[in-house]
Amino acid sequence: MASRRALGAWLAFVLACVLVISRTEFSTDLSAFLPRSPSPAQQVLVDQLRDGVVSRLILIGIEGGTPEALAVTSKRLAAQLRGQESFVSVNNGEDGGSAKDRDWLWRNRYLLSPAVNADHFSSAALRAALEENLRLLGSPAGMLLQRVLPSDPSGELLRLVEQFEGQARPDLQHGVWMSKDGTRALLVAQTMAPGYDIDAQERAIHLIRSTFSQAAEATGRAGQKLLLTGPGVFSVSSRASIKGDALYFSVIATSLVAALLLLLYRSLRVLLLGLLPVASGALAGVAAVSLGFGSVHGITLGFGATLIGEGVDYAIYLFTRITPGTPAHKTLDRIWPTLRLGVLTSICGFSAMLLSGFPGLAQLGLFSIAGLIVAVAVTRHVLPALLPAGFSVQTVPALVAGVSAAVRQAPVLRHSLMLVVALAVVFLVAQPGPLWSDDLASLSPIPISDQRSDEQMRRDIGAPDVRHLLVVNAKDQETVLQASEQIGEILERLSKQRVLGGFESPATYLPSLASQRAGQAALPAPQTLRENLQQALQGLPFRPGLFEPFLRDVAAAREQSLLDRSSLQGTGLALKLDSLLVKRGEGWAAMLPLRGVTDPAAITREIARLPGKQAVLLDLKRESEHLYRTYRTEIVNYSLLGAAVIVVLLFGSLRSPRRVFDVLAPLAAAVIVTSSVLVLSGTQLSIFHLVGLLLVVAVGSNYSLFFDRQTASAQDRERTLVSLLFANISTVIGFGVLAFSKVPVLHAIGSSVGIGAILSLAFSAILITRAQDEVGEGR
Amino acid sequence: MRRLLAALLLTAAGICAPAAAGTTPAAGWGVEQLMQSLAQVKSARGKFVERKYLAILNAPLEFSGVLVYTAPGRLEKHILLPHPESLVLEQDRLTMENKARNQRRTLVLQDYPVIWAFVESIRSTLAGDLQTLSRFYRIGLEGSDDQWRLLLAPSEPKMQAMVREIRISGSKNRIRTIEILEAEGDRSVMTITEEAL
Repeated sequence: MASRRALGAWLAFVLACVLVISRTEFSTDLSAFLPRSPSPAQQVLVDQLRDGVVSRLILIGIEGGTPEALAVTSKRLAAQLRGQESFVSVNNGEDGGSAKDRDWLWRNRYLLSPAVNADHFSSAALRAALEENLRLLGSPAGMLLQRVLPSDPSGELLRLVEQFEGQARPDLQHGVWMSKDGTRALLVAQTMAPGYDIDAQERAIHLIRSTFSQAAEATGRAGQKLLLTGPGVFSVSSRASIKGDALYFSVIATSLVAALLLLLYRSLRVLLLGLLPVASGALAGVAAVSLGFGSVHGITLGFGATLIGEGVDYAIYLFTRITPGTPAHKTLDRIWPTLRLGVLTSICGFSAMLLSGFPGLAQLGLFSIAGLIVAVAVTRHVLPALLPAGFSVQTVPALVAGVSAAVRQAPVLRHSLMLVVALAVVFLVAQPGPLWSDDLASLSPIPISDQRSDEQMRRDIGAPDVRHLLVVNAKDQETVLQASEQIGEILERLSKQRVLGGFESPATYLPSLASQRAGQAALPAPQTLRENLQQALQGLPFRPGLFEPFLRDVAAAREQSLLDRSSLQGTGLALKLDSLLVKRGEGWAAMLPLRGVTDPAAITREIARLPGKQAVLLDLKRESEHLYRTYRTEIVNYSLLGAAVIVVLLFGSLRSPRRVFDVLAPLAAAVIVTSSVLVLSGTQLSIFHLVGLLLVVAVGSNYSLFFDRQTASAQDRERTLVSLLFANISTVIGFGVLAFSKVPVLHAIGSSVGIGAILSLAFSAILITRAQDEVGEGR
Repeated sequence: MRRLLAALLLTAAGICAPAAAGTTPAAGWGVEQLMQSLAQVKSARGKFVERKYLAILNAPLEFSGVLVYTAPGRLEKHILLPHPESLVLEQDRLTMENKARNQRRTLVLQDYPVIWAFVESIRSTLAGDLQTLSRFYRIGLEGSDDQWRLLLAPSEPKMQAMVREIRISGSKNRIRTIEILEAEGDRSVMTITEEAL
């Protein structure tokens, strides 16, 4: 009767899970691995990564050919992409973009120039400017100057262009951007769609690829290779690889575990029964994450492989331990305390993930905890009802004998193991560099190799490696621009004192309306200007009437309508402005990237003097390291807490300090040796490895507990050993396949638990058998 | 149509004229030999007088000062009159300095292709760097080792829009005059008199 109720409840539960899952949204949004509650200033950056201009940039590299050939393809590719609606702009260093920019600066020079004030066009000021021009005509720039001189004797254009100098620019070869060594042509495309619109990004990337192959073919340069990088490219490729990994690894893990179980049970029916707890657990896990987080991340599904590895253990323990003639529930009653303790320790391990500040990691934790609870509940209450009467697993005698012999021999290695552990400790302590990566990038779900090639392309293209950034917040665009102008004056002064090398400001591209109005009001009336100019020209060798265009342009500028964001449309400057001036929720934010900062404290001090301005100086490198350390401390704390709870659980259940020590010793040894193996293989440990090591303790305790347990008979002991061996192999399969994933979080946890699980079992055999023998002798 | 054709032919003939009219270089002596001989010079120093005839001015501008060359890539032009100012070309950077005004500006040449082409006409000639020179100009040569004239016609359209031709004349491995004919009729002539080092 009870078993029928259990079956009914299970079916209802599975149906409910399926219902929840059918309504679940699956995401591959990379921001799950961005900090959950950053400070307001950090939020600006996170927003930028999601949908800012930064997120819309695709960096394109063309490799494999002479610089000339690369330049031809670059020009062709850029020309064709410029005609596409998907792209706001495509820059490759050709004049196309910058000519428009220069033209825009030229047309609006009197509104843009920060130098225009009431005195700027007095006869004395004009005289000084004209004398300066005569001097400049003798320099190599003289040739260029002659062309603009009649329209711009006060040199406003030069002044504007000078503001942009010092900004990093890529090398030009054969008229296009090229890496310094000439092996790679470079282009930067800005997509219309924001970075988080992965479907649109995918279409844009596809368009670039197909256009490139046509362009390369048309120029007969089939050997050329296309390289793409950028936030959108990463989103698209990681979605593909997460999708692939989740499916691929689950299928591989399932097939391998199924093959293993088939080998063990030699019955399809038992195999299916063995997979039942896992399947129920997986459904429960996905449903729990869906209910708890609103959506399920692709990486979480990839993590499902581990559940297969661990959840199947419970059925193995049950099936293998059933002796012929004993009903299943009797066996269950006997192994239940150990099984329960094992599940509880595992849950402690995964709890550290659940509580962490990463939504991504927390999902993995919730998924595993819900999955394990359901898997063990199904094993406890549903499986016995489904097992045929008189069920018993026929174990292969040779295997049993072999395993027993190996375990009996294992203690011989005790001293060697202690030596290995001692050496591993010395090795870890003696590491010259830090064991733990301090880099936030190590948490990124993007493969390291892709991060490297992105860094390289960014360096080549001269995208500034922004470290210091001033963020100004205000209620509207005008206020934020006015604040940026005030701060700009301070920075100007500070850069003369060599506190910083230079800076960029959105107000350079779009001055506030107030300062545009002030500039316009300062332009003299045509007649006054003509008289001032006449006076200034006295005795200078300029041809009469030369400056008519100047008089015309100033007169026009007095009547010109003021500039706003839309007047930049179609220029490369708009792109720049959008990256520096962004709308955020209720207000606006301006970002002023600083170069060559030598004294950040001085800047903070000066900025603080401005009344009521919301300006913050961010040191991005320090911020991100700080953020990472906060997370690491958090995870270390939760891990220590998890480990402490495991120890308490063991005490409560085993009630003997000696036995708790015996159970923990092999696990500690496994953790130490696993860390050494990872470091030896050149891995820099990240938070994810730390989580993996905690899981080694949580999962490994299952083995050491069963080893520690007193067994009824020699036969039962042999059955225990076989069940442990198979449970271990299935766990190693589950986590081990993840070690082959390119997604860093899956790779780190997979490789550490894969190695750690094998070591836990082996070390338990080596260390705990001896302990039991001693107990036996003592009696 | 016929008149247009005639005009084109005349123009073409005009372009060919200098090469045809000038004395053909002596056998066994040519651009390569001249460049090799110029490359021998490791350093040089001379006084210069430069006159610029510009359409926007009604009188020529005159500058004078000192030129200093150090092989292979450093060229200094110190203008002393009418205002002291110096220009230093070092590798890919051109630094303009005016001590009196405490001004200093450095240009990266590749950002200013026209200025780059322009300064290379002098620097590459001094260095005997035929490869760089041919990158920017079609090279013609007249005269002999004792009295030669190098004719540099820009090959880049952007440079062509600014400069029609640069004529550098000299004797043996010494440069005497540099004449720049700008596209729109402006012209400058620099005469160099060598100083004993």
